[in-house]
Amino acid sequence: MDTPSDISDPTQWLETPLSLLAPLESALRCQVCKEFFNNPVITSCCHTFCSICIRRCLSAEGKCPACRAPDQELKLRRNWAVQELVDAFQTARPSVLDFSTKAAQQAQVEEREQPVNKKRKVAPVEDMQTSEPRPERRRTRSQGHYPQPEQHAAIDTVPEVIEDSQDEDEYIPEHGLVACPICNRKMKEEAVFSHLNVHEESPKKAPPNSSFGPLRAPQKGLVLSGKPPERIPAINYSILKENALRKKLSDLGIPNWGPKQLLHKRHTEWMNLWNANCDSKIPKSKRELLQELDIWERTQGGLATGPSPFVSSSNVMRKDFDAKEWSSSHDDDFKRLIANARKKAGAKIAPATETAPTPPEPLVNSSLAEPNIDTDADHVIDLSG
Amino acid sequence: MVSTVAQKRLFHEYKNLSTNPPEGITAGPVSEDDMFYWEALIQGPEETPFEGGVFAAELKFPRDYPLSPPTMKFIGGGIWHPNVYPNGTVCISILHPPGDDPNHYEHASERWSPIQSVEKILISVMSMLAEPNDESPANVEAAKMWRERRPEYEAKVRDEVKKGLGL
Repeated sequence: MDTPSDISDPTQWLETPLSLLAPLESALRCQVCKEFFNNPVITSCCHTFCSICIRRCLSAEGKCPACRAPDQELKLRRNWAVQELVDAFQTARPSVLDFSTKAAQQAQVEEREQPVNKKRKVAPVEDMQTSEPRPERRRTRSQGHYPQPEQHAAIDTVPEVIEDSQDEDEYIPEHGLVACPICNRKMKEEAVFSHLNVHEESPKKAPPNSSFGPLRAPQKGLVLSGKPPERIPAINYSILKENALRKKLSDLGIPNWGPKQLLHKRHTEWMNLWNANCDSKIPKSKRELLQELDIWERTQGGLATGPSPFVSSSNVMRKDFDAKEWSSSHDDDFKRLIANARKKAGAKIAPATETAPTPPEPLVNSSLAEPNIDTDADHVIDLSG
Repeated sequence: MVSTVAQKRLFHEYKNLSTNPPEGITAGPVSEDDMFYWEALIQGPEETPFEGGVFAAELKFPRDYPLSPPTMKFIGGGIWHPNVYPNGTVCISILHPPGDDPNHYEHASERWSPIQSVEKILISVMSMLAEPNDESPANVEAAKMWRERRPEYEAKVRDEVKKGLGL
């Protein structure tokens, strides 16, 4: 479990002089999970994702999430270059971020010591624009459902001020030049990063493990020498009887309880975890994979809290949706809704051109006990679409 | 606590939306303890009858997000719009998963994909406010009024915007 503050995010660069590293870092992250690429693979349509992410997408839709071209997991190929870029960047990241954050703090201290600052005098209007909206954004929810008619009224009520907001105009002044945080030499913002290498020797700010990834010997050879684990082939679940599938699961050494739909989903998840692990430079042990499957079981599988979360809302619209099971498990709901609808007959007539059925809320996630639970009449409209 | 793929991904989206929000939009989890339940505020687009209004909506994310899309529902007194159900639920193609198209009018390219985001949903909803999609009315009465009696529709929307602001 991570707390939110443990998670690295590209936005961390924005409050430092190296804000241009934010888009670089975003490019090194998977568009599906937003984490750094983990065992990146490339699709037939040349899009790169984490192996596990694209495998899950392909089992759900059979299409590339970026361009929606049909693809198959068999056609995925490892993208070593991206893996090395990510490894190198991740190795360098903590020390560069630390360095840059300290530079930002130092610049702020200096600014406080010299209250008469040319830059701030020149651009007071920009100050207002760059610093004011920030607290307003942070305010966001939890302040009730009735929004203020005017933004500015809201701003006044918010005492929370983001410390670093003053820095933004500090490093993007009008002449486009910024000062090196160490020697104060003025240079283009893009040049700061490479210039900082000049000072690399003197201040011992970087942690001891700050080696530069690309300069180290690649570790590939080591790892590829072992015999790669065998991949699990996909199954056509529709032709497999429930008991045969159950046996398959126990042969694989994974839990085999639950209805067929759950067995199917668990097998798919295991196949994806396993096959993605086959793409790894340093494959995990089966025990670790079983732990990951257990997390899946508790969040999305048969042990998830709440009523049948593995029948998630949008499954209703999927191709493999098991309508029989859905109607049997929600039979009571339907009957109740129909009874209610009859009572209110004539009050509301479900339109014939009804669009996509929005799922009845209580089935989506009842753990979110909401004050805004719909009336039954609304559900009737949703279900009839 | 942030541990699953869905929670991490939602955290990244929240972080990005709070540092770099699109104009007229704020959104984030109601509580950081539950990343699957968000609230969003959307400003009514300019030069539309919704101008001047600020609309609150709730977003509920499935546990397998981003494989499946969230649902979105306006709260606090609905909204009179052809693509919003009377209970506030938003009906817009980006919130529909690809695969079978039950309505046979949406292009797969307009629908949900794991690389879409909350930001894109909210921007789409904002442009939906400005330009209703007549082909798939969720609120048939509103759609009819929009099509046949535009001035009346606009007056009604303006009236509700004013009411929503407590004027």
